[in-house]
Amino acid sequence: MNPLFSRRHLLRSASCGFGYLAFSALCQQQSALGAAAAVPRLPARAKRVIFLCMSGGPAQLDTFDYKPQKGQKKHPGSVFKFDQHGESGLWISELMPETAKHADKLCVLNGMHADTGNHAQSFHQLHTGDRLLTRPSIGAWINYGLGTDNTNLPGFVSMNTAKPQAYGSAFLPSEHQGTPLGINGEDMSVATLPNIAGNHLPAALKRRQLDLVQAMNRSHQSDRPGDAVLESVIESMEMGFRMQAEAPDLLNTSNEPASVLERYRVGVNVTEGTCKASDFGRQCLLARRFAEAGVRFIEVNHGSWDQHKNHRRDLQANCQVTDAPIAALLEDLDQRGLLHDTLVVWGGEFGRPGLTPEDGKDETGHNANGFTFWLAGGGVKGGHVHGRTDDTGARAVDGKVHFRDLHATILHMMGLSPNELTYHYEGRDHRLTGPEGGQVVREIFA
Amino acid sequence: MRLRFLITFVTLFVLAKGAFAVDDKAGIAFFESKIRPALVKHCYECHAKDAKKIGGKLRLDTREDLRKGGESGSSIMAGKPDESLLIHALKWEDNLEMPPKEPLPAALIADFAQWITMGAPDPRIEPMVPVAPPVDTTTSHWSFQPIKNPPTPATKTPEWIRDPVDAFILAGIEKAGLAPTRLASPETLIRRLYVDLWGLAPTYEQIAAFADDFKTRGQPAVEKLVDELLAAPYFGERWGRHWLDVARYGESNGNDGLSRNPTFPHAWRYRDYVIAAFNRDTPYNLFVTEQIAGDLLPADNDVQRDQQLIATGFLALGAKPAKAMNENFDMDVVDDQIAVVGSGILGLSVACARCHDHKHDPIPARDYYALAGIFQSTETLWGAAAYEGLTAPATDLHVLKAASLVPPPPGFVETVLPVDSNTGKPRAIPKSKLPAGTPLAMGVRDRKEPADGRIALKGESKKLGDRVPRGFLTACVMSGEKSLPSTSQSGRLELAHWLTRSDHPLTARVMVNRVWLHLFGQAIVATPDDFGVYGEVPTHPELLDHLALRFSGDMNWSVKKLIRAIVLSHVYQLDSAADERHLTADPTNRWHARHLRRRLDAESLRDKLLQTSAGLNLAPADGSIIRHRDIMVQLAGNLQEPSPHRSVYLCYLRNSPPAELAPFDLPDGTVVSGRREVTALPAQALFFLNSPFVVTRSRALAEELLSVTAGDDGAIVTAAIRRVLGRDPDPGEIERAAAMVRDADTALQASQPDAKIRREWAWAVYCQALMATNEFRHVD
Repeated sequence: MNPLFSRRHLLRSASCGFGYLAFSALCQQQSALGAAAAVPRLPARAKRVIFLCMSGGPAQLDTFDYKPQKGQKKHPGSVFKFDQHGESGLWISELMPETAKHADKLCVLNGMHADTGNHAQSFHQLHTGDRLLTRPSIGAWINYGLGTDNTNLPGFVSMNTAKPQAYGSAFLPSEHQGTPLGINGEDMSVATLPNIAGNHLPAALKRRQLDLVQAMNRSHQSDRPGDAVLESVIESMEMGFRMQAEAPDLLNTSNEPASVLERYRVGVNVTEGTCKASDFGRQCLLARRFAEAGVRFIEVNHGSWDQHKNHRRDLQANCQVTDAPIAALLEDLDQRGLLHDTLVVWGGEFGRPGLTPEDGKDETGHNANGFTFWLAGGGVKGGHVHGRTDDTGARAVDGKVHFRDLHATILHMMGLSPNELTYHYEGRDHRLTGPEGGQVVREIFA
Repeated sequence: MRLRFLITFVTLFVLAKGAFAVDDKAGIAFFESKIRPALVKHCYECHAKDAKKIGGKLRLDTREDLRKGGESGSSIMAGKPDESLLIHALKWEDNLEMPPKEPLPAALIADFAQWITMGAPDPRIEPMVPVAPPVDTTTSHWSFQPIKNPPTPATKTPEWIRDPVDAFILAGIEKAGLAPTRLASPETLIRRLYVDLWGLAPTYEQIAAFADDFKTRGQPAVEKLVDELLAAPYFGERWGRHWLDVARYGESNGNDGLSRNPTFPHAWRYRDYVIAAFNRDTPYNLFVTEQIAGDLLPADNDVQRDQQLIATGFLALGAKPAKAMNENFDMDVVDDQIAVVGSGILGLSVACARCHDHKHDPIPARDYYALAGIFQSTETLWGAAAYEGLTAPATDLHVLKAASLVPPPPGFVETVLPVDSNTGKPRAIPKSKLPAGTPLAMGVRDRKEPADGRIALKGESKKLGDRVPRGFLTACVMSGEKSLPSTSQSGRLELAHWLTRSDHPLTARVMVNRVWLHLFGQAIVATPDDFGVYGEVPTHPELLDHLALRFSGDMNWSVKKLIRAIVLSHVYQLDSAADERHLTADPTNRWHARHLRRRLDAESLRDKLLQTSAGLNLAPADGSIIRHRDIMVQLAGNLQEPSPHRSVYLCYLRNSPPAELAPFDLPDGTVVSGRREVTALPAQALFFLNSPFVVTRSRALAEELLSVTAGDDGAIVTAAIRRVLGRDPDPGEIERAAAMVRDADTALQASQPDAKIRREWAWAVYCQALMATNEFRHVD
């Protein structure tokens, strides 16, 4: 019996309690040693992912997929002004002036398509590969596959993500689940990890207190030999103790220079129509800091891009609050030498159909048949466009990339084989890309 | 084990519908000139008798096959091109794209539409072929087979056997070449029983008294204790919470996909119903029936009527997606109901069959839609949903008769107003027709005209296939009808009766397995919500059947009797100590040669923290903190409030759980969750190290200990250990504790100049340490 099988088998056959935790403790030890899951590795282009999740379905035709009018009759397309940017001459709309300065870093996927125009289902599919069932999120898969880079911090941080399923580990060991920062409705400008700091005791006394706890735990454990559950709790107390030393500083952005806070627009919010206050600047700045500290998968969220009525006004607001922080993030990653191995991903659960110029309408719907994502860093071509929609932007016609393909590509870039990163559960091997599997989009690799 | 299914979507009534009607000559001419050539050229490659592989089980080369359709259902609705799948596919709509490479010219598609408008005249009549039988779901999978009465196995040490349960367990232990460990000490046993039956800890004095009684009388002392525990109201609070996990209980909708999360201000009535049902020991068959069809049961009085209506909240509590832009909303609600009945009561994930025949479990889409018809004939009442039409549009609620009217407290003003989704501006709360505080309940009632439902292709409500008679799962091997007896109602009552028949292969097995799981920390079937082909097989199949038969037979579905029998068995009372042989030969304790040590769950941990520090109010909470608030949770900030009541009475808002429970693997309340995860994440450590709740409780305990304990540090340490851990100090513990308290006092001098308060704080540091120990957080 090969070791991988026996480990999985045990994980599966142990219903809960002892066996399960024994092995999750084992996994933790393994991850500390850099061997999280016994899955094949590929040469990695990227070491971490920052996912800029634009929930609600951003309007690609007025941001990155330029559709000028063709022919005599007016048709749906771009209604905001576009220009070419950078040496590559990438078309970017006037709503993203700061991001446009980084045009040569962007790899724009204009041929994205998904299965459904239903927000909840497509958002779920974007994060987990499945529309309906509870499945591990992509961040959990990556942490399962690669283990953590920093044992004092979680390997997966998800900011302002309202739905726990979007960062859940489902059947994967729970240490791989995302740690949420800012749960449902919390103010993102002060959101923090629960109980990360406590000033009720001086630090040295906390250590003294924990030493007593651990001494009692050791004594308790010596009467109960062979219990890995008790052992893993003892270890978790130490990790919690280390986290409270490291994480508060990481979350405290006030020590950043004023110029940095200004560039990221920390604390700047626009609340207009569908555009909600999300302190997107703080999220992006924290994303950079988490990336520097070795967090493997970082998700930030802004919404909602679901402009039905007042399309132009709300789209402008959404672009206004996200444009500068994203540009600052790209700039900082680049300057610090992190961009080459940090994959930045921008996009939402689908896109929107275009408006028709001069027809007096200011209302759009959902479009899952053709929309845009962009990637930057992590070994993708910069200033590059892959894929195409038709003349009205209604449907991807060329270089089509499904969420499955996007997932496969991200895993591949992280050095994980999308088809071989599997987990045995409920009688079969599961993978992020589902039974259909995904195609790695090799054309975009630099 | 391989299963073979013969799957087809043929239905008799489709064939009966004028298959041999004579089409007029003009129509036939149109077919021959326009349609047949196109079919041959563009479709036959994959959709004709000679195709290498028939795509989607659809043939288009005979009149009959074309009308019958493939796995996606009937391909045409004669006379109605807009409702014909064929046209949708040709137009490349709704993910059906035919021909796959590129769409046909628009003119040709228009020809097809015109042809269907004409009634789809088609001369391609072949000789009648035998009709394929309806779906054959014959399966040899264990859980669908009738429950047999297994003989009690012989064992080498019959004196070990107290209950037949012990014989089944001991036979397994012996077969594995192991021997069971010793009995747990009375001190361990009473702690285990309190946690398992009440979710609370016994006091030092209760432990001592029981230990004395046990040493005198032995097992009769245990019987007395168990009967006391079963009779107390705290039993229902503990076991009701287990069921609330199954019922995916939540007091708000959860994120609807558009980040909106309306409260369910009346959900708590279902919580109270469940707690009361366990305390009354409502027979499980009746408990199930009330939850599925309580509104259809006769009632002797208003109290009973209210209770039965509240019970149907089981079907209404689910998390619902946004209604906006979601054509499948109604089916999403039905799907949640099928899932909670499927996974919760039958232990089967039926939900896969919404979109396709279940790949392995013998649950065809037909069966799913047979069940769906029952729930489609049912109206679900979830309430106003914060007056936001785009999430789950407002519905009625059951108006209760016996429950008292509780208006909002004087001066109550709602500060979170509904918001116009377009402008973002607050709107006034619509005036209710009912007096403020009218007792209301979520639940279901029958629609006026119950009817069979139709298969929704790929689960999409817009693409409807064949109509399916309402009925039950065909794979369950039992006598009698599998389709619904003729009824003028939805069929929920008949469904409940079918589920609770004594020869049902799943219902009793699933419930006894749940009970076993909560008493042992491990289940006989390790996947308590999935007894299907994907699920685990039972470790002790005969034991499972033995318990299921006793449960639905002699015990008359009494959960208390079942629990009583199990906890009085020898195996339940084993020690949790594992020797080397147990650890190597059976690390997961599959054979139950010992008891599993367990971490307290979220609720028990919080209750114990309050109980230990004299902060727990054991009276039930009245209603919920949101009972007068029909609002969007995400607009309200943190709605949670401190409460002295047991954790089961806290507000289980989806996506916004009570902070004191959240780190400890609380289910999210969106899916049936029969088994909670048990993790050891650093977030739990941080809770004990820093949470305001733990700090407050430790200070409260220190204050109380210092006020009631006369004597030196040793007396205080002894009192603290008795209070928190229920035992006397070990040698050396007093000195170590006192030394740390002295250090703490020194360290706190800078921050707390008041010596009396500083002394309390220093002792609180010790109390907090005791609360953070593994000994406090686990039960042997």
